[in-house]
Amino acid sequence: MAKINILDKIYTTGPLILLYYLSISEVDANLENLLDIFSINLQIIIIYFWIIKRPSLMGTGHIFVAGLINDVVMGFPLGISSLSYLLVCFVGNYVRNKSVNTTLASDWFTFFIALIFSNLLFFALINNFSDLAIPFSKIGYNTFFTLFLFPIFWFLFKIYQMSFIGGHDA
Amino acid sequence: MSVSRDDFSIAFRSALLQRGASQKFSILSLIIIAVIIFFLDVYGFAVVKTARGVINDLVYRVSYLASTPTRMFPSLNSEIASHFNLKKENEELKKVIEKYKALELNLEYLTNENQNLKKVLNAENISNVSNIILAKVLVDRNSPFLKSIIVNKGSKEGIEKGMPVTKDNNLVGRVVETNYLSSRVLLLNDLNSRIPVTLDADNSQAILSGGGTSKPKLDYLPEDYNFTGEVNVFASGKDGIFNSGTPIGKTTIDGEVDLFVDPNQLSFVTVILKKNEEKF
Repeated sequence: MAKINILDKIYTTGPLILLYYLSISEVDANLENLLDIFSINLQIIIIYFWIIKRPSLMGTGHIFVAGLINDVVMGFPLGISSLSYLLVCFVGNYVRNKSVNTTLASDWFTFFIALIFSNLLFFALINNFSDLAIPFSKIGYNTFFTLFLFPIFWFLFKIYQMSFIGGHDA
Repeated sequence: MSVSRDDFSIAFRSALLQRGASQKFSILSLIIIAVIIFFLDVYGFAVVKTARGVINDLVYRVSYLASTPTRMFPSLNSEIASHFNLKKENEELKKVIEKYKALELNLEYLTNENQNLKKVLNAENISNVSNIILAKVLVDRNSPFLKSIIVNKGSKEGIEKGMPVTKDNNLVGRVVETNYLSSRVLLLNDLNSRIPVTLDADNSQAILSGGGTSKPKLDYLPEDYNFTGEVNVFASGKDGIFNSGTPIGKTTIDGEVDLFVDPNQLSFVTVILKKNEEKF
């Protein structure tokens, strides 16, 4: 019984470990050698999916810290990724409160809103308040590819949820 | 109508303020903290700068360790495999073979590293070692937006913001952030990189601008300038940061510069310490 509990704990902390690992490690989803404009923000997909499906697995405190770590590793001003992640959390929470049953299509549409808000905030803060300058086209490509690939990760996370955590949503 | 407005405000407030079973903080409180941290960092408060330096050093080390599995996977994999094959004699032999394979890989890795270091030392012709610092690249994670690397030398070794960074005598970038034990180097292909350069064909002056892609482009050339390929590009040194004549790359017909050093393949770099200005 104890063994099952430990395994359950490992499975339920899986998404959070993945979030931290993506923030801290060199593994990234920026395949510029294959396609110059390709880049996706996997962290936002992870946060949004699990906030919608199982918010108990994705503590807001952890999301905040993962954002800070991401800022340090990437060289952004401290707090900017945390803010954009928390905005995604907020939209996710709102959608969860307002909806009873969600489908891939509804999740995809609401994810688009969360992503737009999050990236616009990121773009506005970094271009107006820091020494860094990022053109809108870069953010646009990132938004496009993240949105475009959302269903693939949705299915992968759904399979993980059904296999290891439990089928029903929060 | 009023019911739907109530609905909206309840859902909105709930999303912002509610704390679930495992949520120790409300989103609103964390957003406020993040905004405070952001503005303290942007406006450069001394306390935040020091704290950031410490956090940077810590996170870069952890980041280096966290990405170790991807570098050391072959040897780790064989060790784990051999650990599970202790009982049978036949499999013990396999274990020995695997172990030797792992050692061989490790040896190969160390040999390559040694050769690379020797190459760097020879190429840089380090006669005056006090003026140059050899640094290892800790993190070369390419953000979708920024192109920079983290090296394992910082203000402890005398590295300061703005110092040029080279590899095999070719310009790689400049230091934009220093911590006690590490530094961040902005690469030439970063969006925020602007360097005055000179072209060897007719000594034309230009600005090398990074675009976030692998090849930076040349701006502010003379109006009637016609691009030709294979023209060497050097740092002009007009900014007072880079040494004039430091090689950068070769031009392409499209007005871009093919860098001599691939920014994605850096393992060791040298930081050129600023010379003390002579006082007359």
